Amino acid sequence: MKLPLSWLAEFVTVEAEVEEICRRLTVAGVEVENIARVRPAFSDVVVARVLKTERHPNADRLSLCEVEAGPVGRFSVVCGAPNVRAGMITAYARLGSRLMSGVHGQGGVEAIEQAPPLQAAVIRGIKSDGMLCSERELGLSQEHQGILELDEGESGADLASALYLDDTVLEIAITPNRGDCLSVLGLAREVAALFGVKLKEIRLRPGKALKPGSDQVTIAVGIDAPDLCPRYAALPMAAVKIGPSPIWMRRRLELAGMRPINNVVDTTNYVMLALGQPLHAFDYGKLAGGKIIVRRAGNDREITTLDGIQRALMPDDLVIADAEKPVAIAGVMGGGNSEVGAETNTILLESAYFEPMTVARTGRRLALRSEASYRFERGIDREGQVRALYMAAEIIRKIAGGREAGPIVDVDARPAPPREIVLEPGAIGSLLGVELPTAEVSRRLKSLGAWVTSGGKGKLIVAPPSFRPDLNEPADLAEEVARLNGLEEIPAAAPDRRSAAPAAEDPSRIFARASREVMLGCGLTEIKSIAFVASDDNQAYPGIGTGKPVRVANPISAELSELRCSLIPGLVTALRFNLNRQAGAFHGFEIGRVFAMDGEQAAEFERIAGIGYGEYAMGTIGRESISADFFMIKGIVESYLESIPGLAPRSFVAPGATSLAFLHPGKSAAISIEERQIGYLGELHPRAASHLELATPCVIFELDLTAILAYAAAKGRRVELPPRFPAVRRDLALVVEQALPADKVLKTIRESSSNLLESVRLFDVYEGGSLPTGRKSVGIACLYRARDRTLTDSEVNRAHAELIERVRVGLGAELRH
Amino acid sequence: MREQLEQIRSRALAELAAEATESAIEDVRVRVLGRAGELTEIMRGMREVPAQERPAIGQLVNQIKTELEARIEALQGKLKEAALERSLTEARLDVTLPGAKIPRGHLHPITLTIENMLRIFNAMGFEIVATRDIEDDFHNFAALNFPPDHPAREMQDTFFLGGGLLLRTHTSNGQIRVMEQRRPPLAIVCPGNCYRRDELSVRASPMFSQIEGFMVDRAGRITMAHLKGVLTEFLRAFFGSDTAVRFRASFFPFTEPSAEVDISCLLCGGKGCRICKHSGWTEILGSGMIHPNVLRAVGYDPAEYQGFAFGLGVDRTALLRLGVEDMRLFFENDVRFLGQFPASNERFA
Ligand SMILES: [Zn+2]
Repeated sequence: MKLPLSWLAEFVTVEAEVEEICRRLTVAGVEVENIARVRPAFSDVVVARVLKTERHPNADRLSLCEVEAGPVGRFSVVCGAPNVRAGMITAYARLGSRLMSGVHGQGGVEAIEQAPPLQAAVIRGIKSDGMLCSERELGLSQEHQGILELDEGESGADLASALYLDDTVLEIAITPNRGDCLSVLGLAREVAALFGVKLKEIRLRPGKALKPGSDQVTIAVGIDAPDLCPRYAALPMAAVKIGPSPIWMRRRLELAGMRPINNVVDTTNYVMLALGQPLHAFDYGKLAGGKIIVRRAGNDREITTLDGIQRALMPDDLVIADAEKPVAIAGVMGGGNSEVGAETNTILLESAYFEPMTVARTGRRLALRSEASYRFERGIDREGQVRALYMAAEIIRKIAGGREAGPIVDVDARPAPPREIVLEPGAIGSLLGVELPTAEVSRRLKSLGAWVTSGGKGKLIVAPPSFRPDLNEPADLAEEVARLNGLEEIPAAAPDRRSAAPAAEDPSRIFARASREVMLGCGLTEIKSIAFVASDDNQAYPGIGTGKPVRVANPISAELSELRCSLIPGLVTALRFNLNRQAGAFHGFEIGRVFAMDGEQAAEFERIAGIGYGEYAMGTIGRESISADFFMIKGIVESYLESIPGLAPRSFVAPGATSLAFLHPGKSAAISIEERQIGYLGELHPRAASHLELATPCVIFELDLTAILAYAAAKGRRVELPPRFPAVRRDLALVVEQALPADKVLKTIRESSSNLLESVRLFDVYEGGSLPTGRKSVGIACLYRARDRTLTDSEVNRAHAELIERVRVGLGAELRH
Repeated sequence: MREQLEQIRSRALAELAAEATESAIEDVRVRVLGRAGELTEIMRGMREVPAQERPAIGQLVNQIKTELEARIEALQGKLKEAALERSLTEARLDVTLPGAKIPRGHLHPITLTIENMLRIFNAMGFEIVATRDIEDDFHNFAALNFPPDHPAREMQDTFFLGGGLLLRTHTSNGQIRVMEQRRPPLAIVCPGNCYRRDELSVRASPMFSQIEGFMVDRAGRITMAHLKGVLTEFLRAFFGSDTAVRFRASFFPFTEPSAEVDISCLLCGGKGCRICKHSGWTEILGSGMIHPNVLRAVGYDPAEYQGFAFGLGVDRTALLRLGVEDMRLFFENDVRFLGQFPASNERFA
């Protein structure tokens, strides 16, 4: 809401600096976002009356004028305007005044001071003491056909003040609960309450209606939907002459952010800005049967609105209809079929209360928002309808020549129920944490327009004013009481907490934090990506689960139409971003949520994922660097899983033909715990890598954090003492089928061994050379140890020989020497 | 025999002069002390020595052997020392070269900001609870006192997922989720991602982080004064003890009374600058006493319980702290940006 201070001054006078007014409003919840000073494009121009004109003796088109500017004096001016005539009120620039030639519109103060001062001129032999100005010369418009003509004005008055050209405009953010502040009156009430002053009385009286028999018209108003429209008031006015509004009106509307249209429409907008009551003007002549019926659209399916667009109506939409058809969508926009135009002579002014929900619902569906619907949606003054008609009538009489063509028809179909809030003694204090005497509470509520009476025993009965629909219970009143003096009045206090137990933390967060720490140690940098992806991303990287992607019903764009199934697209995007900026390597991870359909329901899952590309472990002189490859990423995943205490054993299995299609089929693995897949890792499929223009292998992993957390559920951990007796190592070289996984070899050895085998480790894999094709040699170190004695050579030899025999048979392996 | 031995001794000692080389020493050792060396030869020839002289000659041989061995050891020790000295001067590394290492990764600034905030809240007695991103209308709006079609809903442009579900527009759903399950006293913070239909730009992102906090207890035990106390303490712990804090009335559907909380501008310290639009203040969080309708929605009697709640935008706060103005920096993941943040969440100070 834009508030010109000159307009505010018509409602309230405060002895305070603008900055102080703004500060008080802001801390009271009416936030002033900007203070704009506006200045005229001239200085020292005054209102003047032309006393007489005569022709210039030396030029046909010029007139010699005598003008009177009150206390400023009388002057002789040469004027070339065709519209100059005796009796007109116009703008007189005296000697020494400054004009911004008019073409630059609103000029700044500095610019004005740079303009040359007006000097006396001799025009065709006759001296001119200053000049009469056109709108363009004053920077008001492009109008330059004649000099400015004012309807009224006090001779000698400063023109800038008379036309509200010298003003300060506050830009105020009004929260959705404060619809009452969407008017000059509302803000004036707020200022008056904050500064403890009284509002100026604005006298609004009905004008004299025309006598019956002349232009008087009859109008019948019926409300068929009192649940949506409890009150409807209407006033017909005849003999209206449609035309542009006077400058002061246009100026005010523009300062308040609205565009002038014509004198009638401008008046409805002016009254809405002043009082907060939206008005609508119908061309009475276009209303069939002189009737207004407020009803649901029912069978009427469409209406063409003022903007020329045909709108579909729903049966429950509230419309204003005449005897035959809808003529407006209530509170949203008028119909083209009843629009006020240049030919209009008799108008019908509408001033109604529409329920916020009906206006909001219809406006949203039609994507139609207006200053009027904005106010209806937020709740206007339940009792402000008739008063607004008085003000509108007064202005129209003045600027459009109209007269009341009948009395106001005021239908109150559903009077507002009385509202009462009972304030128990101390209720406000116990919410705010500051004790306020009942009398003070009462005084503050009264200053806001509430009706406050005593309910006995310290109780207060509060009837909120009709313009504050947001006040419904004691907490609402507590806010009013608190904000009036600013919240500084409330002390800051430490809460008294009974429980001294340390505050708990969500296990998943602790887990995520520890996981992050391991990833950082493994050299991965944390990234954050946005959860929205393109459908293609989800197809390329479907993640761990099997659920379908979650679609967004109203995405920002097609590229962001689904929620990610996997964290990989974000990591790949980050990789590309950095490679495009000359990074040679990128190692990143993300912990976040992914989404998938769980049957018919969208569901969310916690994931950790990483990516590696380019140099990983830095080399140095005489030492090669290590670049990202399968074993690097597997090493990271292993380090991570090993760092989780008590995690169940996990296995890495080469993927089947159809799963993990985005990974290199020979350099990837599914990761499982107890037969459940908890993740995967591997090199990006060469096709994907070439699509991404990656020159060297790119490796990724993704793990199901929730599942890992479940398997890591801390069991009581036992600690074993270090062994006291020495171990004996026996190595073993087995020639096995090339495709046999090392994991299988080790598992077979473990299962075949006596209880003297403490551990088994693979230290070498060898292919080619003297080995037949399709076979490989694996070097294995077996460590034998007993807990209670030193093993003898013969004991170890016997155990090792037995193991070799079983393994040879079990794996179809040969011993290599 | 004696003269022969004396000759062997003096010749060897002469050859084992101070400046003898490694090879010269080795030559002497082999010639004199070796398996076929001169002394061994003499011992072998003992049979020809008269029996009564044998012990004396044997003693002399041993004496010479010990003497020469000691001499050799001493010389070799000196040579080794010299060689070590030489190698120490030769094998000088360029110590400014980097170590062989896996460079540590870096934490994302949003994570750091959240963790720093949660650490403070945790120390102030707030329990940390994670809640969900996918919500229904009830938990994201209706229970938080957003009536259907109310203009307040427009403050938050929502992503819908179908099936009556949506992406939460704020972490305030945490209030409802927790209070539905538990009874006061409660002191909870819920961090998490929120989603609103804003394009990624300098000022906004469709996904951002918030921390919701609330404290609820029997009526009268948690007041607006405690709200002020707790938030002031938090903001000073986070932004520095000299931070000025201002509470001003505002509106949120789920609190009444509501207050916006401002801190003195981090850039100008309150004098007024471009960043704070010359007001000296920066809006930092929204707060208020939990609306009675919210308490009713979770089955609490507002006459019995009351409390406060607040919501803190992490991303904007992180921007303010870092003194940068572009939200996109958080989601581009430029390593030149991320590399400036700590490599651990553990703090060294
Ligand atoms: Zn500043």
